[in-house]
Amino acid sequence: VLPEIRQIQDVMEREAYITDREIATAVYLAISLGKPLLVEGHAGVGKTEIAKVLASVLRTDLIRLQCYEGLDATTALYEWNYPKQLLHIKLDEKSASLDQREHELFSERFLLKRPLLAAIMHEGRAPVLLIDEVDRADEEFEAFLLEVLSDFQVTIPELGTIRASSRPVVVVTSNRTRDLGEALRRRCLYLWIDYPTLEKELRVVRARVPGLSEQLAREITTFMQSLRRDQLIKVPGIAETLDWARALLVLHADHLDEALVRETMSCLLKEQNDQRVMDQRLDEGRLSAMLSLSS
Amino acid sequence: VTGDLVARCVAFCRAVRERGIPVATGESVLAARVLAAVGVSDPEDLRFGLRAALAVRPEQVRWFDRLFDELWLAAGETPRTTTGMEAPTPPPTPPPNANRAPPVTLDRWMRAPDASAPAVVAFRAASDREWMIGAEPPDLGDTRAEFRRLADRMARRLAMRASRRWRPVTRGALIDLRRTARHSLRTGGDPIRLARRVRRIRRTRLVAICDVSGSMERYARFLLQFLYALQRSFAQVETFVFSTRLTRTSPLLDRGRWEEVVPRIAREVKDWSGGTRIGASLSTFVRDWIRLVDSRTVVLLMSDGWETGDPAILGAAMRAIHQRAGRVIWLNPLLSNDDFAPVTRGMQAVMPHIDLMAPCHDLAALERLVRELWV
Repeated sequence: VLPEIRQIQDVMEREAYITDREIATAVYLAISLGKPLLVEGHAGVGKTEIAKVLASVLRTDLIRLQCYEGLDATTALYEWNYPKQLLHIKLDEKSASLDQREHELFSERFLLKRPLLAAIMHEGRAPVLLIDEVDRADEEFEAFLLEVLSDFQVTIPELGTIRASSRPVVVVTSNRTRDLGEALRRRCLYLWIDYPTLEKELRVVRARVPGLSEQLAREITTFMQSLRRDQLIKVPGIAETLDWARALLVLHADHLDEALVRETMSCLLKEQNDQRVMDQRLDEGRLSAMLSLSS
Repeated sequence: VTGDLVARCVAFCRAVRERGIPVATGESVLAARVLAAVGVSDPEDLRFGLRAALAVRPEQVRWFDRLFDELWLAAGETPRTTTGMEAPTPPPTPPPNANRAPPVTLDRWMRAPDASAPAVVAFRAASDREWMIGAEPPDLGDTRAEFRRLADRMARRLAMRASRRWRPVTRGALIDLRRTARHSLRTGGDPIRLARRVRRIRRTRLVAICDVSGSMERYARFLLQFLYALQRSFAQVETFVFSTRLTRTSPLLDRGRWEEVVPRIAREVKDWSGGTRIGASLSTFVRDWIRLVDSRTVVLLMSDGWETGDPAILGAAMRAIHQRAGRVIWLNPLLSNDDFAPVTRGMQAVMPHIDLMAPCHDLAALERLVRELWV
């Protein structure tokens, strides 16, 4: 392993984010090549978490843009602060020529920086820019984003072109509710995060929920692994595992039994249908089978 | 990094492209930068690094690992390009169903609904074991006038969705603060001239794919009239029909009167009332026409779901369509039957990838559909 990659893995784990070499390598390249990192994976496998941990590892700010349908430039890039502008005009009626006033009015003082512009104009150490759930925004926004990501500069008609002094580290996440365009994919380094293996999930639980007994941690993760093999409508991710583990810790559980699983099932399964399936499994006395992972 | 290594890396990129991952030429530059950043001392570093640069979809990620093993690790000095495993081509399409219902010519079929048909008909379904007893559909007759009216309503609905984006106008209910502030500069900050804005109109597109195989015989005429009407009142609609293979019918439907359209379709659609190969037909659609589908498109599939081919192919095609489309609606004429349950293997493969399944056996059912046309 390259020492730099090992080091990234170590510092991320110190922040209680358990990585494997695939993630560490992709993160290392995103930083050293200055390319955006596109992270795809099922819900709750820790995509957003990468950006947060990265910001704290690099000791820099995290700037987050949450995407939604209809997101446009005024909410993603910048907007003028109209009330302030209008007030300023009123308070300052005597001053100089129209040109001068206009110049003053459309200056940085009256600019509301939305996340993308904030990332570009960020002072000091390059920030981490998280563009979360980009699949929720539409294709038009994707095209716009592509433009911003390609040279990290924007042109504001009244102000001119603003260029990033230091390139932000960009993390883009997608839940794949919509297929992203090839252009965006090819502009980024790509990381696919699958559901974790038993070993990895066990390490995550140990790191994130200290105080859990080793036996219970093992039972929880084994149970989760078998659960994911079932035909569920909404397969639980690591986020759900951790919720569940914390709930069990609060309940002072030391091992899993049928009653306990029934009581706490809502941490894991968010679909009524899935819960019914689980109930059925428990009725059939399948819990012990689920706790002894075969192959 | 030595020149040799860079050459090897470029050759590797080319080999990867030949084996099915669409790596652009420029990306070998990125690959070389990755190579320089991680070095070759640990091949696993290089695997993960090159993978991040070249494989950009989950399927490609898995495939890349095999290619890396074979083309980089095993190949030693010079990567081979054309030996070993084949690229992941879609599985071979099954042959058209041999034991299909007796062929019905389109001409006979177009003339009129078959008056001698029994009240209860047994649909000879696509596969041998799958039989279905359904009620005779009501007399569908010639419903063109009503279709025209219905299609107009649908078209209006599709063209009228408000977007979340804005557009400046001279008259409107909402004030555009950004432009108002700008205008007020001239009047000393008093907003004398108010700028207005309204929501942009969001154009929805429609792609209709209609099954005209033997088992859909009774409905196909009816649905085709519907497609014809739709095509006439709404510009942004594409229509396809399939039985064993896919035919694009939009250019056939959108000119001329119904009487002229029918023989034209009869000429072009060769496999009318043949067997059903939904999966293969939809795979063709995905391969050749998927660009017609985006997040503003409603995809309307009309079929009873009797599939003779491999349901896995059907599932994969539906997944691809669903991923790109704003909304996927499956119109199933059998749904009017109370006993209907989507239990055929074909329907099972399809269910996870549709947003709505609705009946389409008569006009009333299609009327109800108007409400569902949004994305």
